[in-house]
Amino acid sequence: MLKISNFSKSYKGNKKAVDNLNLEISSGDIFGFIGHNGAGKTTTIRAIAGVLDFEEGDILIDGISIRKNPVACKQRMAYIPDNPDLYEHLTGIGFLNFIGDIFEVNQSDRERLIKEYADAFELTQNLGDPIASYSHGMKQKLAIISALIHKPKLLILDEPFVGLDPKASHTLKSMLNKMCQEGSAVFFSTHVLEVAEKLCNKIAIIKNGKLVTSGKTEEVKGNQSLEDLFLELIEQ
Amino acid sequence: MKKVLRLVSVQIGAMIGEFFSIGDVRKRKSNLLYGGIGLFVVGMAAVSFFYSYMLGQGLMIYDSIDILPSLMMAMTSVMILLTTIFKIKGTIFGFRDYDMVMSLPVSTGGIVASRIILLYLLNMVFVVIVILPMMIAYGILVNPSPIFYIMGFLTMFFIPMVPVVLASIIGTLITYLASRFRYRNFVTIVLSIFAIFMFMGISSTRGGSTEELVNMTKALSDQVNSIYPLSSFYTKAVCDADFLALSIFLGISLLSFLLYSLMIGKVFKKINSSLMAGSYRVNYQMGELKQSSPLKALYKKELKRYFSSALYVLNTGFGIVLLIFLSIAAFFVDLNTLFGDPLATLQLKQFAPMIVSFCIVTCCTTMASISLEGRNLWILKAMPVSEKTIFHSKMATNFTIIAPAFLAAVLISMTVGYGFMQGLITLIVAILCAFFTAAIGLILNLRFPNLNWTNETMVIKQSAASILSIFAGMVVVAIQFALLNRMNSFILAYLLYIIFMLVLDFILYMVLMAWGKKQFHNLQV
Repeated sequence: MLKISNFSKSYKGNKKAVDNLNLEISSGDIFGFIGHNGAGKTTTIRAIAGVLDFEEGDILIDGISIRKNPVACKQRMAYIPDNPDLYEHLTGIGFLNFIGDIFEVNQSDRERLIKEYADAFELTQNLGDPIASYSHGMKQKLAIISALIHKPKLLILDEPFVGLDPKASHTLKSMLNKMCQEGSAVFFSTHVLEVAEKLCNKIAIIKNGKLVTSGKTEEVKGNQSLEDLFLELIEQ
Repeated sequence: MKKVLRLVSVQIGAMIGEFFSIGDVRKRKSNLLYGGIGLFVVGMAAVSFFYSYMLGQGLMIYDSIDILPSLMMAMTSVMILLTTIFKIKGTIFGFRDYDMVMSLPVSTGGIVASRIILLYLLNMVFVVIVILPMMIAYGILVNPSPIFYIMGFLTMFFIPMVPVVLASIIGTLITYLASRFRYRNFVTIVLSIFAIFMFMGISSTRGGSTEELVNMTKALSDQVNSIYPLSSFYTKAVCDADFLALSIFLGISLLSFLLYSLMIGKVFKKINSSLMAGSYRVNYQMGELKQSSPLKALYKKELKRYFSSALYVLNTGFGIVLLIFLSIAAFFVDLNTLFGDPLATLQLKQFAPMIVSFCIVTCCTTMASISLEGRNLWILKAMPVSEKTIFHSKMATNFTIIAPAFLAAVLISMTVGYGFMQGLITLIVAILCAFFTAAIGLILNLRFPNLNWTNETMVIKQSAASILSIFAGMVVVAIQFALLNRMNSFILAYLLYIIFMLVLDFILYMVLMAWGKKQFHNLQV
């Protein structure tokens, strides 16, 4: 579903934010991308989402290159950044309907899925209000709903649990599991190692832009906790 | 006071940086930046000097050179008044970093003072660019005593005070009234347009009568004083070295400024809190949703964005509102009686398409439409739509805002008595100018984007893209004027102009589809 081949990204000053990254995520995977602050997680995620341009390597979504055919790739995936800045002049429902139009979701699916997800995140009553009035957590919930209503094959999330209340976090985890059971794939970055350990069937750890380790969660961490492994790898 | 000045300097730094959209390469470009600002100010001052000198020479013919200082001072004051009304929301109220600024260990009075000083300094730049060259031009033409320069220089620093206070009071009242309504942006737009029309109405009805034209100096002087009464004290102080007039002018300016600062301190928190609290219902129930194509969805989103900002609407839509007002008003008056001169009516007939074009080029919404995406840019970037669709939605929005001007063009054509061919030409010129406005605005905004703004005013009013888009529009209108002056035939001049605009619009569209796409692709917040 997602194949990252020899991906590198440099910013001004020639510092490599990500250096020759290779990863492969299959349908049904929940893939946790772990690293310290400034390790290159967000750069990688933004490049996968087609938000950030890059020169070296390639990223394939469902076999299609994001560099060569970005529109087709974006049609198959959804992306939620770490800080979901949404159109504050729109109402919640206005924004969801807008995303529905952009991804050409038919009317009955759109209405059904918005109701289902908004009810699950307890946001239905607020959908008529301007997004400007939403708290950070409410914006996060709205961004998640907007990502789910077009049934993406690949869901890319940057720190999705930041700002969510415990119940919403639980709801999101259930939804991610359900999506993967239905054949989609999830790729997300996180600092919350307990979440990655319990939720992800595969993980990767990145340090200073370079991949340190990746694979099935159980195989990567072995007998130790993910936290111990992470600290050990980062301090090396 | 040190903290207040620090706040002001931070805001000015951000404003200068954002004007040139220098972002993270600020240090490397600082010399270029200051050089650019210097050149811009010197260039504007040179234009201002030329204008004052030419005006002064004209006034000398009527033996009325003495009104030059008061005329320029009144014009400056009126410009400050009209432009500052729009700046209140965004500078004093409803600015994006309100929470951050209010959390700083600075008193509310200090924060208010920093905001008012910022408004004063912004307008002071304009005053210096107009008044100093005027003093030099007056000096060359009249050779006054040195006291003129001393008085002129001293009073210059007080000129922006009263207009800033008046504009702030009107702007505060509008913001305060609008903050009580659910559709506050709509109320702000309506009230602001009403205030400006009221001001224009008062200025035009208080002018001198035709009989007074016998005494040209008196008539002109009365006209200037009726527009801005403080200018009579200014004239006496600067030209006649009248110390009483000087004291009155300085006293009124300073006192009104201090009183306003104290007054605004009392309502600062209340209005800002009210603006942020909003009136929300929390009772939404799912109903039927309407489906649209991606292009239509983007277009509707753009339109909603446009009307969500009173500043955006007032800055880009006023020319169109004025044009519609004029076209309807012209329908009900006899132009020959109105001007009292058949030659004036004839000239109006000749230049009608130019008047329409002028109003259209002032209505450029695309010059800020990329920048206003700001931190929301990721949404557009992550969407499965091409850059072409995004550009089309932004241009279609600009076209929609301009569209009433096409109706005005038809109305004006009927009023001035155009035949079918002339009417058609007026309409085609209007459409071509509208396309030009939308395309050049988008290109300039892609070239000078500012996605990290903290205040909408910075991208709508004070950005390089906004200033250059107006300038480009003026050039296109000037070409129309030049062609009309050079050619004897209206039809021939405009046929040439239509060919020129067609080619220009085509080139701009090609630039957008090639360079513009790449530029958008490389944009990062």
